Amino acid sequence: MNKTLVTMLKGALLLGAISAALAAAPAQAQIEIRIGPPAWYIATSRPTYYEGHAAYWYGNRWQYREGNRWHAYRDEPRYLRDRRGGHRDRERHDYGHGNRGGYNRR
Amino acid sequence: MRQLTLNGLFLLAALGSSACVAPAVATRPETADDDGAQDQAAMGLRDHHRHQHRAGVLQFTAMSLDTLATEDARQPQVERIHGDLHACMAPTSGLHRRLLTAIADGVAAGAVDAQRIQPIIEDLNAAGAAIQACGADALNRLHAMLSPVEREDLTDKVRAHWEVWRQVNAEEQAGARGPGGRLAVLTQELGLAPGQVDRISAALQLARAGRGGTFDREKASVDVQRFTEAFVRASFDARAVAGVESTRLAGHGAARMSVFYETVTPLLTPSQQAALAGQLRNRADHNPAVSSN
Repeated sequence: MNKTLVTMLKGALLLGAISAALAAAPAQAQIEIRIGPPAWYIATSRPTYYEGHAAYWYGNRWQYREGNRWHAYRDEPRYLRDRRGGHRDRERHDYGHGNRGGYNRR
Repeated sequence: MRQLTLNGLFLLAALGSSACVAPAVATRPETADDDGAQDQAAMGLRDHHRHQHRAGVLQFTAMSLDTLATEDARQPQVERIHGDLHACMAPTSGLHRRLLTAIADGVAAGAVDAQRIQPIIEDLNAAGAAIQACGADALNRLHAMLSPVEREDLTDKVRAHWEVWRQVNAEEQAGARGPGGRLAVLTQELGLAPGQVDRISAALQLARAGRGGTFDREKASVDVQRFTEAFVRASFDARAVAGVESTRLAGHGAARMSVFYETVTPLLTPSQQAALAGQLRNRADHNPAVSSN
């Protein structure tokens, strides 16, 4: 009786663990990072809006802030990958006095 | 055997589950400490915040619109508001042009006339509140027009501009020679000799120590924070979050810039003075409302 009860409990825990793993599946695509892009980069770059966040391509990955934490996509979402090559997303605003506040393309 | 398999499965599932949820690294809400010394846009931004002191938070907001990723259909609305914000800043833009021209004249003559500079800085300080009041309506319209993600992004950019402004206008950096700093840039642009750099660095530290201002950096920081926290909420009124100290950013930044050139000028050679005067005149002509985009 005792053994059956333990087996049933383990089964329930296993089911719970699998459910938790499935529920957390989207988290596999992203990681928390200690720090986000530098201030000068955020101030001079145009992000791409995706899943309710402003995603910045910095350090060879897409980074975005959620609350007080910065995250990066472990696997680049297709939507963002398709936009990475677009000319608008590669523009950096150059405020240098020789450039009269216009854009520079990288 | 069956018991062992079940235990193994349980362990694997539990480990797998926790691996999915656990963050890779503990986080802090901050941005990278990369100074962007090799990045042209970063250097341009620093130069801008060192030399273009117009309207504090209102100026940061107008600049943030330059890189907001608003969809094309709403871009004309953004540009209208951008224009309205710059129209509100027109009085300080004029004062700023006068200031840079006065400094450039002084540099060319070998000595910056503080008596000519001071009234302009006082006018910049006096104009701050009126400019903030003028821009409130444009800020409210901007808030109403932007989506929640655009508002979040705009406030990230305002905070980013504030952070860069603080870095390049930091009191403790007077005379500092670090890469990307005001003195390092001047050294590169004018080809200063090592002995000159030493004398200028010492003179700057002395000059700053002798001029304690009343500007409160922490209060200004609170003003910026209040603005950014309010702007991301569903309802917003710029008049309700107008901060007093942040209206003094332009005057404070302009005063620091003036002290720098007053101090540096007598320690330059005539040809360096002529080159610097030319650069300052170029900056006086700089119009941030004009974009080549």
